[in-house]
Amino acid sequence: MSHIHIPDGVLPWWLWLSGWIAATVLIGIAADRATRSGSRRAVPLIGAVSALVLVAMSSEIVPIAYHVNLTVIAGVLLGPWLGLIAAFIVVLVLALLGHGGVTVVGLNALVIGTEIALGWALVRTGVRLAGLKRIRPVAAVSTVLTLAVTTTMLVGIVALAGAPATGRETGALDAETLEFRNPLSGGLFSIGLLGGHDHEHAEDEHEGEHAEDEHEGETLAVSRFAAVVYTLGPIGWLLEALVTAAVLGYVGKVRPGLLFGGQGVQGRVGRIGDEHGGR
Amino acid sequence: MDVTAVDRSAVSGDTLLHHAAPASKLAATGLLLGAVMAVNDPLVAAGVALSLTGAGAAVGLPLRKMLPLALYPALFALIFAFAAAPGPVTGAVVVLKAVTAALAVVTLMFSTPYPQVFAPIQRVTPQVVGDALLMTYRSLFILAEKFADLTRAVRLRAGLSARQPVRSAQATIRALGGLLLYSLDLSQREYDILYLRGYEGGLRVTTRRSVDHKADTAAVLYAALILAVVLAFRMTPALSGYSWLVTVAGAVDLLTGLSIGRRR
Repeated sequence: MSHIHIPDGVLPWWLWLSGWIAATVLIGIAADRATRSGSRRAVPLIGAVSALVLVAMSSEIVPIAYHVNLTVIAGVLLGPWLGLIAAFIVVLVLALLGHGGVTVVGLNALVIGTEIALGWALVRTGVRLAGLKRIRPVAAVSTVLTLAVTTTMLVGIVALAGAPATGRETGALDAETLEFRNPLSGGLFSIGLLGGHDHEHAEDEHEGEHAEDEHEGETLAVSRFAAVVYTLGPIGWLLEALVTAAVLGYVGKVRPGLLFGGQGVQGRVGRIGDEHGGR
Repeated sequence: MDVTAVDRSAVSGDTLLHHAAPASKLAATGLLLGAVMAVNDPLVAAGVALSLTGAGAAVGLPLRKMLPLALYPALFALIFAFAAAPGPVTGAVVVLKAVTAALAVVTLMFSTPYPQVFAPIQRVTPQVVGDALLMTYRSLFILAEKFADLTRAVRLRAGLSARQPVRSAQATIRALGGLLLYSLDLSQREYDILYLRGYEGGLRVTTRRSVDHKADTAAVLYAALILAVVLAFRMTPALSGYSWLVTVAGAVDLLTGLSIGRRR
């Protein structure tokens, strides 16, 4: 559960919109870097690795609702910037197949992009320190650490969504209470599903109790979510770590030149695409 | 998740929705996603989901292939709802939102070839991202087929067995490793093709026009009607006691759609 399987209309608009804006800026930078280094080489590589991740993600392990992500492998093959583009493409295609909301594509791209970048950095550092022969344990540990970080990001996003609707949304100041209040909180697309209440119950309550209960409900919802994610998550992390270690071990053995964007661990091997002709 | 079924239906299907312009279908999908975002009553959400399924059945889309894809996100939404939603009603809304949104996008993808869906996305993304998006979707079908072949071969050699989970896992990982190498070789071949064709960035997709303007109007009007109903229930609290009517209307839509679909 390293990325958000949250449908549209659950997270508050300011949160998913912020995700889209941040993702757009970062993808713009990544695209610029990819174009400068040669889009003819980048386009098929991103396409192939994104497709590989999509194939892995479409094979689900039903009892724990987990699917292998191969994001750390994608990071090792693509590097952080091309990896970010691949992350965006993967979540966009998944959203178009109904897997995750369209509105959360930005946030998902950031979470998976972080997973790819962090995985790349940890495996690269680990292999430089321990050597290519120990890529299996390095990859396993890096995957667990990466997934732990991105799962915490996911919990953080849900916590932000469940937090009270205040200044973070619009910055509107209520002069009576000197508190920031959201003038669009009753608006069409401010759903507040993570606000800690079933709407039917909320209507019957007194205003003062309402505020207190809302806080309590939010805390409960987020802590329960965190408890479920941190209970089921490690099973997935372990599976992902085993798969990543085995696959990277296999690639490190048969085609080490493909690792780290074809630059090799020491940067001595030619880039992917140069192997059969060096153009 | 059988992604190849999506492409087969989108390319070789011949329903009313296939005749509509991709732009109309994208607009209709946008309106439906707006409805999904605005809905906050489980009975209204259920009605919309039933109605959408009925519409798909009425025009003759392959529901048996579509529904597993549309219901797939429900599994994850259920876990999310159990973990984060503060009550059963909110949980039901979360799950129904996931299913309804998935139905909307899956209906689009089953009736529209992917280059036509990606064409407007290509216009707003950087060139390398738009091109990589097209390349990904092309590679996806090749790799999905290759992975299916690899796992079938392993299964035929008795490499995949529930009685021997460790051996099965090893075989699956070998298949994934082989798929990874194959995918990198595939990217190399695609690079060679792009090089030979003198690609300098910018894979162009010609947008298809409408074959049947009535289909365009029907798709957009249907989606607008759904959005209007959802907004009416959202903005008028007095209507909340009557939300069961939307579920009943959705069920009637479904039965009518199934009956029309069977007559075809």
